[in-house]
Amino acid sequence: MAREPQEIEIKSRADTLKRRPWPVTPPPSREEVAKVYAKRKAEEFGAWCEENLWFQNVFEKPEALQGVKVLEVGLWRIGHKFCASLLSELGAEVIKIEPPEGDPMRQLTPFGREEYMLKDKYSGEPCGLEFIHEMRNKYSITLNLDTPEGQKLYKGLAARVDIIIEEYPPGYMDERGIGYRQLSKLNPKLIYCWIGELGQWGPEKDRVSKFGQWMLDPFGQAACSFIHNTGYPEDFMPRGSGGDPTRSGVWLADYVAGEQAAVNILAALYYREEKSHRGQFIEVTGAEALMDILDFDISWYGFNESIKARSGSWDPNLNQYAWNPCKDGYMMIGGQTDRLWYRIGMCIEKDLPVFGRLIHEDPFLKEVAARNALQALIKTYTLTSMWLRDINRVEAEEKLLEYEIAAGPLLYIDEVCEFPHFKYRPWVYTIEDEHYGTLLYATSTNSFQMRTPARVKWLGRPLGKDNGEIYQKYLGIGPRMQEVLKEKGVL
Amino acid sequence: MADPREVRLEDLPGPKSREELEDMKAPYEEYCRKLFDVGNEFVKPMALEGVRWLSCTMYIFTPHAVANLGELGAEVIKIEFPRVADPMRHTSPFNECYFYPLHDTRPKSGTGIGVLNANVNEYYISLDYHRKEAQEVLYKLVKMSDGLTECYRPGTFDRWKQSYRYLQEINPRFIYVWGGGFGYGPKAFGGSYDILGQAHAGLASITGFHEDFGGHPVKHSNWCIDWYSGTQITIAILAALYWRRKTGLGTMIEFSQVQAATRCCGYTVPLYGRFGIVRQRWGNWDTQLCVHGIIICGKSDYPDEKNPQLRNEARYVMVSAFNDPDFKELCSVIKRNDLYEKYKTHKERVRAEAQVEIYRELEKWAADKSRSEVVRILTEAGLLAAPVKNDKEVYESEHFRQRGTVRWMDDPMLGDVIAQSTYSTGLFSETPRRKFWDFRPVGADNIKIYHELLGYPISTIQEWYEKGII
Amino acid sequence: MCDIIWCKKCNTVNYLDPYCFWNWEGKVNCAECGEVYYIHMIQGHMYKGPEPRPGEKPDIHPLYADKPYDGYTNYPPGVEGKTRPYNCTPRHIYLGRADQRKFSIRNRPMRAWPQPPSAGIAGSQGFYWDIKKLSPEVWEEYMEKIKKGEVRDW
Repeated sequence: MAREPQEIEIKSRADTLKRRPWPVTPPPSREEVAKVYAKRKAEEFGAWCEENLWFQNVFEKPEALQGVKVLEVGLWRIGHKFCASLLSELGAEVIKIEPPEGDPMRQLTPFGREEYMLKDKYSGEPCGLEFIHEMRNKYSITLNLDTPEGQKLYKGLAARVDIIIEEYPPGYMDERGIGYRQLSKLNPKLIYCWIGELGQWGPEKDRVSKFGQWMLDPFGQAACSFIHNTGYPEDFMPRGSGGDPTRSGVWLADYVAGEQAAVNILAALYYREEKSHRGQFIEVTGAEALMDILDFDISWYGFNESIKARSGSWDPNLNQYAWNPCKDGYMMIGGQTDRLWYRIGMCIEKDLPVFGRLIHEDPFLKEVAARNALQALIKTYTLTSMWLRDINRVEAEEKLLEYEIAAGPLLYIDEVCEFPHFKYRPWVYTIEDEHYGTLLYATSTNSFQMRTPARVKWLGRPLGKDNGEIYQKYLGIGPRMQEVLKEKGVL
Repeated sequence: MADPREVRLEDLPGPKSREELEDMKAPYEEYCRKLFDVGNEFVKPMALEGVRWLSCTMYIFTPHAVANLGELGAEVIKIEFPRVADPMRHTSPFNECYFYPLHDTRPKSGTGIGVLNANVNEYYISLDYHRKEAQEVLYKLVKMSDGLTECYRPGTFDRWKQSYRYLQEINPRFIYVWGGGFGYGPKAFGGSYDILGQAHAGLASITGFHEDFGGHPVKHSNWCIDWYSGTQITIAILAALYWRRKTGLGTMIEFSQVQAATRCCGYTVPLYGRFGIVRQRWGNWDTQLCVHGIIICGKSDYPDEKNPQLRNEARYVMVSAFNDPDFKELCSVIKRNDLYEKYKTHKERVRAEAQVEIYRELEKWAADKSRSEVVRILTEAGLLAAPVKNDKEVYESEHFRQRGTVRWMDDPMLGDVIAQSTYSTGLFSETPRRKFWDFRPVGADNIKIYHELLGYPISTIQEWYEKGII
Repeated sequence: MCDIIWCKKCNTVNYLDPYCFWNWEGKVNCAECGEVYYIHMIQGHMYKGPEPRPGEKPDIHPLYADKPYDGYTNYPPGVEGKTRPYNCTPRHIYLGRADQRKFSIRNRPMRAWPQPPSAGIAGSQGFYWDIKKLSPEVWEEYMEKIKKGEVRDW
């Protein structure tokens, strides 16, 4: 993995826009890292961890979900894609079913810029990066679910798999006779999970517009109070400039729904294998799954009619626990218990004596819970940024880590990809794809395991690439018949 | 072998009983309601009954990884340091909200609601691992449990001889999880929190208003990256349990929360890798779809309410009309057909400059309207629009009430409290999740576990308690 | 000094919160004595000021101020004419200390006020809140509420 550093000469503005190799500089060596462990007298344990959890060894180990078969059938959203990715990274065989024209997400690209889409080396077909990044270890087949033949083939596949992850508008599959209600009769062991934004039933269930446009995230984020609770208050900056409720930069509700769907599916699978030998129907929505993780917010309303207000990058429940501007960006510092809080103070006081004078001597700030009061936050963070404005992120991190404080710079993606620790593990990594060339991707979070680590075997798949294999293997439909079906618009 | 001449009911297509016939005929929504049977979860079995898990966790991230198991039916034993306890217990928004479950050591300080929902359905014991008596207790528990989740700095449990290196010798089926910020590597000993994950992983750099608009990177509300990462640990645990059925072997899982926040950044990483483009923030709009964003309306829906969140903030609407016919209709509703003429294709209107213009026009149109008016007008035109809801509106939502995802419960320790979690993670036809209780006082189940499960005499437990071992 | 204005006239520390003032130019008042200071901040540094501008009107108030020589007596946000209001709060009232309640918003008892110690052996607790025995007065109040029809399902 280690590469020679490559020099980039920057002579003009255009040079700064040139793509840099990854990694620009090689990650730290194992010897250097061993010294880090030794400093904390954990060299033996550190070596043991590296030996047993080492990322580069994943292909030497078996896969936890080997033999589990999954159909992924959905469009537009991330929920079902992320859910299926989590399973396929752990070894499940995932078949993604797309309509003959493909999942519209294949066409999405930031600001419509086609130059940032990837072209299939063989067909020249472009595909968006958001789609490719979630197309992990998945087979792609085409199938038109609106035709009777398509529905028949779908039933054939459904009869053979353990799990279906579906994300279509409510009742879409049922109307076509291929929903859980019908498929569970064909395959009683089927675990069927529907994922959506708000629900497939209930007064505010998922809608489509009168022209058939789907509801996508952030509708889920908006419905559960996440957006209302996120962002800077108008007291810090004007509305329209960031002083507004703010959505997540990503389709967070979808991601959260996807992972909870994976939990629910695996629990149902465990139950099926251990006890019932029957499948079941599961429904997960973005709005609700995200509400599940909004701490105590709704309960807080039930307590005294408080409606959580946004508080920017300051946490209203903890002190210190925020990022604030510093010389070259933003610096995050956290430490709430007395032990940590005073250590932060000691660290800052060394450079900025007035911090000690005003913070440590204030009797109001001596009690851990009282420090969460609004006025305490204002005071603490104002003085903390007074320290931060003179130093850059790396300096601040170094100083704070000396005091064993959880602190870290706010990083942009180029910095994330070059952060020594992230390169070392690595959390972003390259893979050479047969169709799309070398890709940098975020590795699976479950890759660091002793026995059955998750892995990415391939990334991205042109539309219908696996029709041949899957239809032959699952349904015994050979190439000639596939041609006929293709002509009829079924595949 | 069945006689092929015999016609058996179960071989014929179609429903097999009157009940099944009715099921097959019922409108889909009714069918779903009946199948999920919200409110009657407790008559159904639980998926993970019989699994026992130890939770040596603090804060939100690792506790949530275990709470997921507890909600699914696993028996979870949460181990806290005597008196010190989980620091999350001191956490309360603006220092205002505390519950006071009976607690002899600190009756006056209460437990902050920060800890709510993070450790549900668990038994609580106290144990000081530093003491020599603790080791025997922990080893006994390990022998009779399926796994453990911990969040201490790397090497800490190893120093106490209770890392996986040691525990796999005692119980080869044991599944051991370490969850933290970084894991092995140069920053192995760096501490981590939710907010650090957000800042460090790149997620914050793409959330919030663009610098050119005067914005700063925004923290996702609450500790949602803690919770989000914890759920991914649960996935690893369940997969390991599944694998263990085949091999009888446990495993060790090392999970880094900071990585989880990079994982959900979508095209950000491959875009940088291939083209060297560093993704920036794009506020309340969408980088890949337009119109698909949040606009501000001129008037709040509750101009006369006392609460500023209602009076000042109920003004935002999520509007979505990115497909051509939807966008055309939207332009006609706001009487700006020229916009449609100008940006006929999605490719044209999703460009940054076009987005700036389109959203500005939408906000101009909404400037003399209230949030509910905007939603009503757009919905009546057959378009997709929804209010940005606040906690009160979520609480009052008929949708969530009918689906049981916001409900009141009578907690044995806290009393009357809203459960917004557990049920909202998903509906199940066979093994629904459920919530028995929320958090309990430190050491509330010391007798149950030390005496009834591990067989220590009451007098010994009393002695340990007085010595501060438990 | 900057990021704070330590008013020399009255020894009050006025805090200039980082997100509002990181890049800012204008006049701020001292919360205690009302002295007006002109400041120009760039990237958190005081580029100009604080210069006293007596008699002029402030553009903005500080969000918080306190007096370290006076036992840290303070001006919390929203003292009229002294400190800026902070409007983005969860309720119209701001306590900053425990809101000890006995009933939830639907008027059923919840244990949000200090309780008498009554744990069992080694801190153990059962699964039952014997409110009638432990807090009879709350139980009575609850009965009253039921009678008056104040106890709701939602």
